[in-house]
Amino acid sequence: MSSSLILVLLVVGGYAAARLAVGFIARRFLVVAGAEYLLLGILLGPRVSGMISSNVVDSFGPFITLAIGWMGAVIGAEFYIPSLLRIRGQVYQTALLEALLTATTVAGVMYAILVWLVGVSPAVALAPSVILGAIATTTSSWGIALAVRRLAREGAARAPVLRQVQVAAGTDGVVAILIFNLLLCLTHPAPPAGIRPPTPTEWAVITVAIGVIAGILYHLFLGGERDPDRLFIALAAAITLASGTALYARLSPLLPAMIIGAILINTNQNRTEIATALHRVQRPLYLVLLIFAGAAWQPSTQAALLPILLFVVIRLGAKLGSARLAARLSSRLNVLGLNWGRALMGHGSLAIAIALNYRLLDSSALPNLVFSATIVSVFLTDVVSARFVRNVVHHSRYVQRRTTEIHN
Amino acid sequence: MRRAIILLVVFGFVELIRPLGSSGYGSQALLAFGFLILAAYTVGEIAHAIHAPAIVGYLAAGVIFGPVGLQSVSNNALTQLEPVSGLAIALIAFLAGSELRWDQLREEWVGLLKIMGTELALSAVGLGTVLYLASNYIPFLHGRPTSEIIAVTLLFASVAIVHSPAVTIALLSETRAKGPVARTTLGVVLLADIVVVLLFTAAMASARTFAPTAGMADTSFIRIGWEIIGALIVGAILGAGIALYLRFVAEELFLFAIVATFLGAEIARIAHVEVLLTLITAGFVTENFSRRPHSKALRDAMERSAAPVFVVFFALAGAKIDVATVVVLLPVLVPLALVRVGAIWGGTHLGARWARAPETERRYVWMGLVSQSGVAIGLAMIIAETFPTFGGSLRSLLLALIALNETVGAILFRRALVATGEVPANPGGVSEPTHVSVIASDEPLQG
Repeated sequence: MSSSLILVLLVVGGYAAARLAVGFIARRFLVVAGAEYLLLGILLGPRVSGMISSNVVDSFGPFITLAIGWMGAVIGAEFYIPSLLRIRGQVYQTALLEALLTATTVAGVMYAILVWLVGVSPAVALAPSVILGAIATTTSSWGIALAVRRLAREGAARAPVLRQVQVAAGTDGVVAILIFNLLLCLTHPAPPAGIRPPTPTEWAVITVAIGVIAGILYHLFLGGERDPDRLFIALAAAITLASGTALYARLSPLLPAMIIGAILINTNQNRTEIATALHRVQRPLYLVLLIFAGAAWQPSTQAALLPILLFVVIRLGAKLGSARLAARLSSRLNVLGLNWGRALMGHGSLAIAIALNYRLLDSSALPNLVFSATIVSVFLTDVVSARFVRNVVHHSRYVQRRTTEIHN
Repeated sequence: MRRAIILLVVFGFVELIRPLGSSGYGSQALLAFGFLILAAYTVGEIAHAIHAPAIVGYLAAGVIFGPVGLQSVSNNALTQLEPVSGLAIALIAFLAGSELRWDQLREEWVGLLKIMGTELALSAVGLGTVLYLASNYIPFLHGRPTSEIIAVTLLFASVAIVHSPAVTIALLSETRAKGPVARTTLGVVLLADIVVVLLFTAAMASARTFAPTAGMADTSFIRIGWEIIGALIVGAILGAGIALYLRFVAEELFLFAIVATFLGAEIARIAHVEVLLTLITAGFVTENFSRRPHSKALRDAMERSAAPVFVVFFALAGAKIDVATVVVLLPVLVPLALVRVGAIWGGTHLGARWARAPETERRYVWMGLVSQSGVAIGLAMIIAETFPTFGGSLRSLLLALIALNETVGAILFRRALVATGEVPANPGGVSEPTHVSVIASDEPLQG
């Protein structure tokens, strides 16, 4: 069957299924849609039915890269500086500590597991461990968004713990993207042409420069226009150029696109229109990304089951422990409660994007193990991520009420 | 100045990154796509500033940055971007079909047929005669047996009369023109698109009797009949499905617009039916069997998602123009192009008079019929495949002629729309919303 027809049928089928079944369940029972697309991709992929061959998955590499880049731009667009400045420094401190602690804990433990349990050589195990650390740091943004909508209806959208969860999720994303891109710069293979291979620092500069230049081009291209069509073309061109350049240079499009998003949202009068355009396209792209993520899945050859399950458990433990420790170190335990980290346990779109991006790079070590671990984690946690958030907020409000009653 | 800076930055950026990259799994495609959106759009703006259609700018950008120019876009990238051209053609066809409203067609179809019939007949006879008479002066026909010259003449005429729905729709989108000339031109182009497939089939069958073939292209009447009838059936089913979606779901239209056209094009290919006709039918059925706000919302979403695709489509077309061949064949091309333009002018004029069309249509519709692009290129490729002895040379001649017509035709059509006052006071060119609004006009064609 034609590869493009498969893509179309996948999207149509997936969308219909999501809309008819999962869409209703998501709204009614606070369940995040996404896992079903992953499952659909796995079922249609080369490992199960074979309707989508490995070649087809590879041939859609540029499209997947664009979807990943678009996700990066959406994350970058969250960083509107005037809004960020209104948040207290303590909130950032807690969020940053939580992200770094999670990343280092998971990376360290997974390194030990890969070396001692699986038997991978220390040199080979380093990159996948760091990537798994970065992936573990991410938090499901869809789950939080769904919970926020529900909590707003319940009059609980202003709870301090919810604000902390939102900031922590954003910080998790940035930290994960930075770690991932840094690792790619450090382990970048030499370019094929007969030139001096750039140093890791130079690769890092190139990564940032791609985003900055694409952002500048957007402004030059748009000029003083406010027309929505032209704005969309400029936006699509900037993200496509940055994603294409990153793919061509064997870098990740996440950081350049995130820089574009941040530049545009902070330097443009059409902030609302940009955010709308970004979000409008993100969802369909994400659905397709999930399907291809499922199709791209291959069982690892490295006695995978145990390390994969351990990754899921370690991540959940690291999230809870890091969040608690971060709150304690920032003196916010009384505000956030001991278990506020439960709200960060949902694993979602960014994790898939990083894992898929890592798998697409031909020089990656243990790509299937990293990818399988991510898929399992997302599959198990994303569905209920909104419930995690809602429960934490409800619990925190209950504790606050009880504290107030006791004081009175 | 701003445009020059954009081109400089984007060109320098791509040149700097080029030595750092790899060519695995279509990595050049995305880079080329992003580059072409910015570069071609900017050249389109420059073209617009000098009162030329933006499409000419897109084509020029393809020539400048393509394999024959600065090579920022390689042949490899062009191959990888083929699906973009397919998607663009599908979108164009669907949009074209959605511009046709049944209530208007019912009033106008006789007039459109008269104009189209006269114009196509005169063009085919004129071009065929000139090529036959000039065969001694055309290198690849010199000294050939008369039977082969007749075969070439028939084939040449059947392709040279083809118009371009792509250029027509793109220009109407760009200028937002509405009025009788825009509507009649679009109607003639779309009807002619169906008729030329039949004429081409007949020409191929006749040419086979004059010249032996070794190619494998199947051009039997049954096959071609199915291509047309099947396209109508598949298109109608697809259009009905889209109309149902709009009625009961009507969400995620942006994604749906792309998915629906992609799906239609793929189904048409699998069913071996004419892709353009399938999508035109689907667009027509959708437009006429949906509620107006729904179909308008879909059209808006489609135009929005199509905008960058169109830019890249025409830039890719430009990148494929073999400038060297055009220059070599120029002494033959210019007379042929002039005869074609003259025949289109004469045929349209006579046809419009026969249809009792208003004076403006008699004077200006021909200018919208000069351009050629995707369909004609596809037919030229079939000839090359079917007739190995002369097909390759004839293809080169046709492609050179198409390149010339594609550029000149776009300029002429824009002039016609401006001259008739059908372009709004602030047309906006490349920087305004791209809504094709011909259906809004209430003036029917007399006939």
